[in-house]
Amino acid sequence: MADEEEEKEEAIKEDDHGLLEASVADIIHNAKRKRQMEKKVGARLGMMRHLYIILDASESMSIQDLKPTRFLCSLKLLEDFIEEFFYQNPISQLGVIITRNKRAEKVSELAGNSKKHVKEMQNMQQIAPTGEPSLQNSIELALKSLRLLPSHASKEILIIVGALTTCDPGDINETIQNMKTDSVRCSVIGLAAELYICKRMATATGGEHGVALDDKHYKEQLNAHIDPPPAATRLDAALVKMGFPHHALHSSANDSTMAVCIHAENSDESVKLLSTGYLCPQCLSKHCELPVECRACGLTLVSAPHLARSYHYLFPVEPFKEVSYSGTPSTCYGCQKILSQKDKKVYTCNKCNQTFCLDCEIFIHESLHTCPGCATNQDTYQRSTDRI
Amino acid sequence: MFKMSNEIETSLLIIVLDVNPVQRIIKQETRILTQCLDSTIVFANAHLMQSSNNQLAVIACHSDGAKFLYPCEKPVEIRQIDGQYEKFTMVERTVRQQLQQVINEISLDKPLNGESLISGALTMALCYVARLEREKIAGEKIYSRILVITASNDSATQYMNYMNIFFTAQKMGIILDVCSLDQELTLLQQGCDITGGNYLKVPQLSGLLQYLLWIFLPDPNVRSKLVLPPPVKVDYRAACFCHQELIDIGYVCSICLSIFCKFSPICTTCHTVFKMPGPIPIKMKKKKKTIDIVH
Ligand SMILES: [Zn+2]
Ligand SMILES: [Zn+2]
Ligand SMILES: [Zn+2]
Ligand SMILES: [Zn+2]
Ligand SMILES: [Zn+2]
Ligand SMILES: [Zn+2]
Repeated sequence: MADEEEEKEEAIKEDDHGLLEASVADIIHNAKRKRQMEKKVGARLGMMRHLYIILDASESMSIQDLKPTRFLCSLKLLEDFIEEFFYQNPISQLGVIITRNKRAEKVSELAGNSKKHVKEMQNMQQIAPTGEPSLQNSIELALKSLRLLPSHASKEILIIVGALTTCDPGDINETIQNMKTDSVRCSVIGLAAELYICKRMATATGGEHGVALDDKHYKEQLNAHIDPPPAATRLDAALVKMGFPHHALHSSANDSTMAVCIHAENSDESVKLLSTGYLCPQCLSKHCELPVECRACGLTLVSAPHLARSYHYLFPVEPFKEVSYSGTPSTCYGCQKILSQKDKKVYTCNKCNQTFCLDCEIFIHESLHTCPGCATNQDTYQRSTDRI
Repeated sequence: MFKMSNEIETSLLIIVLDVNPVQRIIKQETRILTQCLDSTIVFANAHLMQSSNNQLAVIACHSDGAKFLYPCEKPVEIRQIDGQYEKFTMVERTVRQQLQQVINEISLDKPLNGESLISGALTMALCYVARLEREKIAGEKIYSRILVITASNDSATQYMNYMNIFFTAQKMGIILDVCSLDQELTLLQQGCDITGGNYLKVPQLSGLLQYLLWIFLPDPNVRSKLVLPPPVKVDYRAACFCHQELIDIGYVCSICLSIFCKFSPICTTCHTVFKMPGPIPIKMKKKKKTIDIVH
């Protein structure tokens, strides 16, 4: 909450600066609306994502055009990004690579647990950005792990680069070709200027490419990668076997199987004794949290709500129709605000015909993913069954 | 960092009252709806009485709609009876008057349906909280919670709406409490679990008011210090998209995450054609129901 307030205060302060901020805000708003319009019901998406973030840690990242520095600003934004990524993509994996002194270093391995990645981000605040980056070395390092994944896994690389040059040992075109061969989608966020080679990489692999104008725009560009990307046409589809464990709350007295949960990721508390937990339905071993890959039999264990968190991508609320406020007194169907001349535009749902204020329009499409008008109407409340 | 001065703490309670006339217990005994309403109003006023900063909203829902009973744009006129209790009287009159209107407006053209659109009322509640959060003054902190009082069943047809609501509420820090008057509600139970709220199926309807005051009136931050019923075991198994049946092991489409109880060569949700499973041996436990892999 405190953060939000600060953000608001910032927004007010920055509005005084005038035109530049206003136009950045416009760019952000338009980008959001464009993304919303592009969301299609029943679109093919790559939901089982495997994303490597490649973060530039070269000299140029110590420049202070982003506060306090490009590097520290990136770490902070990435922390939030990682949390949100796993919230919205609960059965996906992420890894982090940094590049400096012409080399690539893997900071954290592809894994599905946000805590460890966030910790690494915080540790990295000690690192001093130095030397030149090597995009080629970094991409090849990422490809080494991505290549091993099954063919239905969606493979992505997100490069954040502040430098204007890259120091590569070989021909980067070969690396681009490698990404194409392995169906890896590569996106780039530039912090300084558009690099020709980055644009090439993104275009050739179906990724996105942009240059961050300020920290807000930067955050927005990162957020664009929270949503699962359209499935690559070459992405194989598969039916993946998964277990939906029961919650073993209280084990009975004669149940001597105080389960052992082994977490490879947190070495400090690698073995936990559990009286509660989740039972793998295939081999009955116990786990302390979901989602997890069963250590004993390899089955992916999830809870139904984990999957449900992603359904809004598949059944989005269709964009509302923007209409000018007619002047007749009415209330917003969502928040009950009385609509007045101050609301220049109001929004109408094509399905249920209810009218909403701008704030509710944004809230419904970005957070709630359910139209209150449709959900309170006997004829329209069902979302999925008509398509299943 | 903390600005302790001029900090206002508001506790917002939104009550979603299911007034569907075809709920089983109401069909049996119409008087029950009045009894529930009486208890709800006393409970609502008890909340307002706890602090002058406390806020209240009441939403009624049935099988074909939901409506805010309180606050209401055109509040009922009341003569000054007693300054202190003016607000309580207004709450009571507004709620009763608006509810009468809601009942009168229920369309008789459509068949009456036992499925109450509780999820719809919840979406309106969340929009309302989001608005209060936008409009709050600097230094104000709003603690919001929603209490559902219903005798209906929670049906799987609202599953997706419910899940979107639970996750949004969780993110906004809104607690969902559920007071069931008739049956165990497995779906709404998940919502309580996800948002950290209380769930109770009242053992005896005659004691409704006591249960409300005992379990749902205390502020969530003091609840941990109270002796409340133990948490229920929440069933988080998945329902397959093909038969809506609860399953332990299923097959999930890698493109759209639809869940199926059997392998099928094409996803009925996103129409993707699957690669046939490779020669990976599928281990099957003897006790388990056999799942055929290829049709
Ligand atoms: Zn564990
Ligand atoms: Zn297992
Ligand atoms: Zn609104
Ligand atoms: Zn609608
Ligand atoms: Zn089925
Ligand atoms: Zn599918």
